[in-house]
Amino acid sequence: MEKVFTIKKLNLKYGEKTALLDINMDIPKNEITALIGPSGCGKSTLLRTLNRMNDLIENCHVKGDIKYEGNDIFSKDFDVIDLRTNVGMVFQKPNPFPMSIFDNVAYGPRCQGVKDKKILQETVIQALKNAALYDEVRDRLKESAKELSGGQQQRLCIARAIAMRPDVILMDEPTSALDPIATAKIEDLILELKQKYTIVIVTHNMQQAARISDNTAFLLMGELIEYDKTDKIFSNPAKAKTEEYITGRFG
Amino acid sequence: MKSKRYVKDKLTQLLISLVSLVGLIILVAVFFYVFSNGSSLLSWNLITGDYNSNVFNGYYSTEITTNDFAAPSSLSDEEYFSTRWGISFMDDEDTEGHHIIMITYVDIDSPLANIPDKNDETATISISSGQKLMTVRFSDNTMLLPSNGAEKANQLFDTKTSIADIMVSTSGKGIRGSLITTLYLVIMTLVIALPIGVFTAIYLHEFAPKKNKFVNVLRRLIEMLTGVPSIIFGLLGAAVFIPIVSSLTGADTGNLISGSLTLAVIILPVIISSTEETLKTIPDEYRQASLALGANRNQTTFKIILKSAIPGILSAVLLSVGRIIGESAALIYAIGTSIKDEIIITERSTSLAVHIWSVMSGEVPNFELACAISIIILIVVLVLNLSVKFIVRKIAY
Amino acid sequence: MGLTVTTKKIKQRNKIVDKITQIALLMPTILAASFVLLIIIFISERGVAPFLESQYGDLSVDLIRFLLGNEWYISPNVYGVFFIIINTLYVVFLSAVIAIPISILTALFIAKMTSKTISNFFQIVIELLAAIPSIVFGVFGLGVITNVVKKIAALFQMQTAGGISTLTTIFVLAIMIMPTITLLSITAIKAVRKDLEQNSLALGATKMQTLFKITLVDAKSGIFAGIILGVGRSLGEATAVSMVAGNAGTGPNFNLFGTTRTLTSTMLLGIKETTGLDYDIRFSVGIILVVLIIVINLLLNFAKKKIGRFS
Repeated sequence: MEKVFTIKKLNLKYGEKTALLDINMDIPKNEITALIGPSGCGKSTLLRTLNRMNDLIENCHVKGDIKYEGNDIFSKDFDVIDLRTNVGMVFQKPNPFPMSIFDNVAYGPRCQGVKDKKILQETVIQALKNAALYDEVRDRLKESAKELSGGQQQRLCIARAIAMRPDVILMDEPTSALDPIATAKIEDLILELKQKYTIVIVTHNMQQAARISDNTAFLLMGELIEYDKTDKIFSNPAKAKTEEYITGRFG
Repeated sequence: MKSKRYVKDKLTQLLISLVSLVGLIILVAVFFYVFSNGSSLLSWNLITGDYNSNVFNGYYSTEITTNDFAAPSSLSDEEYFSTRWGISFMDDEDTEGHHIIMITYVDIDSPLANIPDKNDETATISISSGQKLMTVRFSDNTMLLPSNGAEKANQLFDTKTSIADIMVSTSGKGIRGSLITTLYLVIMTLVIALPIGVFTAIYLHEFAPKKNKFVNVLRRLIEMLTGVPSIIFGLLGAAVFIPIVSSLTGADTGNLISGSLTLAVIILPVIISSTEETLKTIPDEYRQASLALGANRNQTTFKIILKSAIPGILSAVLLSVGRIIGESAALIYAIGTSIKDEIIITERSTSLAVHIWSVMSGEVPNFELACAISIIILIVVLVLNLSVKFIVRKIAY
Repeated sequence: MGLTVTTKKIKQRNKIVDKITQIALLMPTILAASFVLLIIIFISERGVAPFLESQYGDLSVDLIRFLLGNEWYISPNVYGVFFIIINTLYVVFLSAVIAIPISILTALFIAKMTSKTISNFFQIVIELLAAIPSIVFGVFGLGVITNVVKKIAALFQMQTAGGISTLTTIFVLAIMIMPTITLLSITAIKAVRKDLEQNSLALGATKMQTLFKITLVDAKSGIFAGIILGVGRSLGEATAVSMVAGNAGTGPNFNLFGTTRTLTSTMLLGIKETTGLDYDIRFSVGIILVVLIIVINLLLNFAKKKIGRFS
């Protein structure tokens, strides 16, 4: 099994408060890995560490190592922007930029200096197709992205991430702000994207983790309690805490 | 690839940081300029002195031959003391650079402390320190002029026995009149604008029916006041308030009342919006709690709401005072530009800001005086603004 | 039984008191709202007078020559306002061109690029700058900026009238509107959703790319509101401008080192009498100023809607 991320002895503190404690885990390529756990357990923090979005928070201290494709992402020579172009991210609330649908998707490539109109056109259309949005918006690419529905906006954000041709897509509760129908569409999309991308998803929704993920990691109070194949976690967890959580006794 | 992007990013950051220094540089430059030009002039005499210089003309015909006045111990090397007349002189220059002779000391027993007025047989005038010597003609027709200098003046005074004609003038260029005018304007304007503004805010926020067309029109009209430039308010003062005040009080020109009315209209939007903003921050629970206790809307508004709105109203008052002190264009129309020493509220006079305008728009602008007044205005306005910031922070936490 | 009767009475009385208060409070509200109407009515009345033969007989001013004339002299009563309008627009436009980029970059710096302490310090600097009365900027303009402009003119081997020039006016106005635009831009930039910026960073954009392509774009509506306010302020600014504009009698003048004349400086300069044609014509200029402000406001608001269509 090929690994995209290798996490070793990862510790993270916000000021004095410990958010992650001695996390060790590997994230396998072209599979969906779900991070679950009660609020404040550190699952979003862990996700944001993978593309170093935590750099933006003051007082955030990280110890330990994360290797991405064998390279230490905290080393001085490592370019964080390269990391972020290879590791895309989709946020909780759909957040299209205040520009047209086309410009939203073209934003990332343009920031990397892609100017050729033809290449941009192809990239955008391909990304929209991959995000299963193209058919719905093909006639209004020049219109404001704010006019799309919530579910469409989230698929646009996924398309925007895909347009960078990343290897990994991180998703931070991507369906929590959406209605059930839009959620179902996004879940279908995630399963499809698995062919090409490695996906790490934080979710609050246990059924969602069970439905779509291959591996599940259960975190509690900043510690990784259990990490295994999803089938195993949901049918026969090794730890009592895990069982209590997935059967809904707390969280 | 990485280093190029990095360098470009850092260069942009550097550029923005440099540009944002512009504001700081301007502020420092304004302060530096105003203080370096005005501080030498700023003194208690300037603040309490008259603007117009008064000329006194007297004589002393009794012969004096004794030389027994003693020089005061505080006399400096530059002062020349006449032992015969008990008076001392010093060389100086006025704000226009002309040579003058200042009178720096007059003994209380000096004959010059109380001499007959040349223009009025029954009156006397007193020569005192701080006045400047204009001309002296002694009884033997020897003339003394400012260009002769203090040493020569002293020499003549010590040898001559009586004075046929002496002219002195007070120094002038003081700002007491404008300072008093400004205080009058601040008080009168607030007295007019505060009740109107606060009541309007209370009506709009607490009493006015919601989504009422008429109320919306009123609201829009009041909001439009914010966009009107102050010179247009000046025209309002000239076209409406001066005639009204004239017909009521018999004033025949712009005056302090018409000026205050004009300023009141200018600060009205500030007071209304600031009061309404505070009313908005008062939680509805207060109103509900008061109403639940059986109080009616009047009691709720005036006993609970208004009390909680006081900090907001206070900060509106401070901002308004700053605006009144700084206002110039409107007052040029609504009052006029003649600097006065005796302040009468039905007549013209200038606020400090208009005083600056008056001395700057003449043939020879007086930069020192303008800067000295600017120091006063700047300090007051800045203190007011910082206190508003402090009050607002207090409300927030 | 007795108790209920009293409460009923009190209730009724309360209702009446409430009604009276409501009316008593409505009066000052109507008064406050009436001032705009008073301004329109009375300034129009005075401003129209110079064009009426019934008021000024042979001296009355020809409206067409007033609107299209390019000369303004008080003594032989030659009043042409067209070049003054053009000059006003010229200085206001150029002062905005200088002030807008400086203001926006300063706002970015204060809102996004520095530590809390420095940001607070710069915010206070800008607020103090906004609080300085225009007369003080006039003194500063006449005492300092004229000298700067003289030096600039010397670089181009040009002459100025003691530094009093179009360029001086532009600089003074730019300084005066800079704080307004900056403060409103800071508010707009701070209101941009954080996750929007984070998403841009997550897409591999650099911090500067994010600030310029996302933050500013999302804040543009608020920034534009600041620009509208700033332009309004510079159109109506009178005392400081009249101190440094010079007193050009003819125009329009586009030479940066020549003197100029704006609508407001025309209204203030040489004001002596408080009656007569020379006084009333200033009200006519006032009408032009108000109309100009309204038209420009409408245009800018229209432009704001156009550029704001994605947000």
